[in-house]
Amino acid sequence: MADKGNDPAVIWQTMIGEMEKGFNSFANQAMTSPEFSKMMNQVGGAGAGAQKQLGELMEKYLLAMNLPSRAQMVGMAERLQAIEGQLNEIKVLLHQVHHNSLSQDGGMGAPRPPRTRRPPSEGEQK
Amino acid sequence: MNAPAALDLASISERVQSEVQRAIQRSIKGVEYFSSSGPSLGSTPKDILAVRGTMNLYHYRPMADEIYRVPILIVMATTNRGYILDMVPGQSFIEFLLKRGYDVYMLDWTAPKPEEKSLRMEDYVLDFIPDCIRRVQQDSGETDVSIIGYCFGGVLSLLYGSIFHDGPMKNLICFTTPIDFREMKLFSNFSDRRYFDVDRLIDTTGNMPPELILQSFEMLRPASRVASQVQLWENIWNDEYVKAYRMMDRWGTDTLPLAGEYFRDITKNLMWDNKLYNDTMTVGGREAKLANIKVPILHAVAEHDHIVPYDAAKHLITKIGSSDKEEVMLKGGHVSLVAGGNAIKRLWPKLDSWLGKRST
Repeated sequence: MADKGNDPAVIWQTMIGEMEKGFNSFANQAMTSPEFSKMMNQVGGAGAGAQKQLGELMEKYLLAMNLPSRAQMVGMAERLQAIEGQLNEIKVLLHQVHHNSLSQDGGMGAPRPPRTRRPPSEGEQK
Repeated sequence: MNAPAALDLASISERVQSEVQRAIQRSIKGVEYFSSSGPSLGSTPKDILAVRGTMNLYHYRPMADEIYRVPILIVMATTNRGYILDMVPGQSFIEFLLKRGYDVYMLDWTAPKPEEKSLRMEDYVLDFIPDCIRRVQQDSGETDVSIIGYCFGGVLSLLYGSIFHDGPMKNLICFTTPIDFREMKLFSNFSDRRYFDVDRLIDTTGNMPPELILQSFEMLRPASRVASQVQLWENIWNDEYVKAYRMMDRWGTDTLPLAGEYFRDITKNLMWDNKLYNDTMTVGGREAKLANIKVPILHAVAEHDHIVPYDAAKHLITKIGSSDKEEVMLKGGHVSLVAGGNAIKRLWPKLDSWLGKRST
């Protein structure tokens, strides 16, 4: 085998690892300053405001184009979620009603194992 | 030509051959990578016991012939999905617990809807968790319940345990749980009260957008995403590496939004006023002092945790009121502590040996 110290692949991987560590450490130091926090929050705050305004503008545009807006899609998704929730409730009820017939597949109605397990003695533990 | 030189030439030739083969494999597998979906995650058989708002309660079907008396409720962090603890078979913490004879329930979260922006800390601590505990008691027929909280799920579990200290929590296990938020240096600086206007942000956005949460996590290690993609390309010929990468990458970027008022509570009470550490925390007007918790507790922390540094987590054991308490520091990072090869070797067996004898 080639000497690992001279292996270009190993050298490359080590270099990437060191660069990652170095850059992360440098960035972390820079990010602990109050100036960074001030700048980040100014940019972030302006970004969130602009995003909201853009969202409102898009909604008006979609309405004019006779297309569903995000809010309407979210509303539809909520209705679907509500239907899914109701289906789940029906499923639970069906499981309860058919307790015995479901006992073979290990589902909700299946008999549970006894709660009698004891921890293995110290010697048995892996 | 002398012998060592001949040997070197042979090894160089082997090396070149192997690199050429890998380059070909990279091209083939690279196409496969972009044209296929990742492995199916969170597939351990389970039943949904309750879905309400952002709360989902699952019960995993037992895999042992005989189980421990005390069931476990896992409380997931509110920013991430629970399938980190249920990756693929053989690498699933849930599956491990089931095979070791535990009865496992999980409180997992979904994204709060726009109209759920008003959910507050008390909804999580005084409603969702107690509701799940009641349902676990009802479903298992047992009064006692052990709780495992991961990251901020640990904080919620601590708050629950410090308020409902008369029971029914039997054991508490926290994974990488911060209590001294001043020591989360970067998060603390990002949310510096002089510059971070949480009221304006939440009043504008409603819920805390997941992109902002993901960005703040990624900013902790800004070079790591690029480096991990370079490493992926180098190892794309290796199916196991790609599978592990896809699992972790999918989970890491699958961040949940946070309910607006809940995020406001976290920022003001924990990040700014550090109330949990200062013993001044209240939830819904109820005192939440860590010293109130008297049940056995295990706190597992990671040696190289960049999200919850040890300084932010180390006071938990000293401040807790229990006499049976243990902190264990294991090799690994915030995620590799609980999932992946490192966790299989270190955390999981440690947890099993600690919890088994306290679950009868």
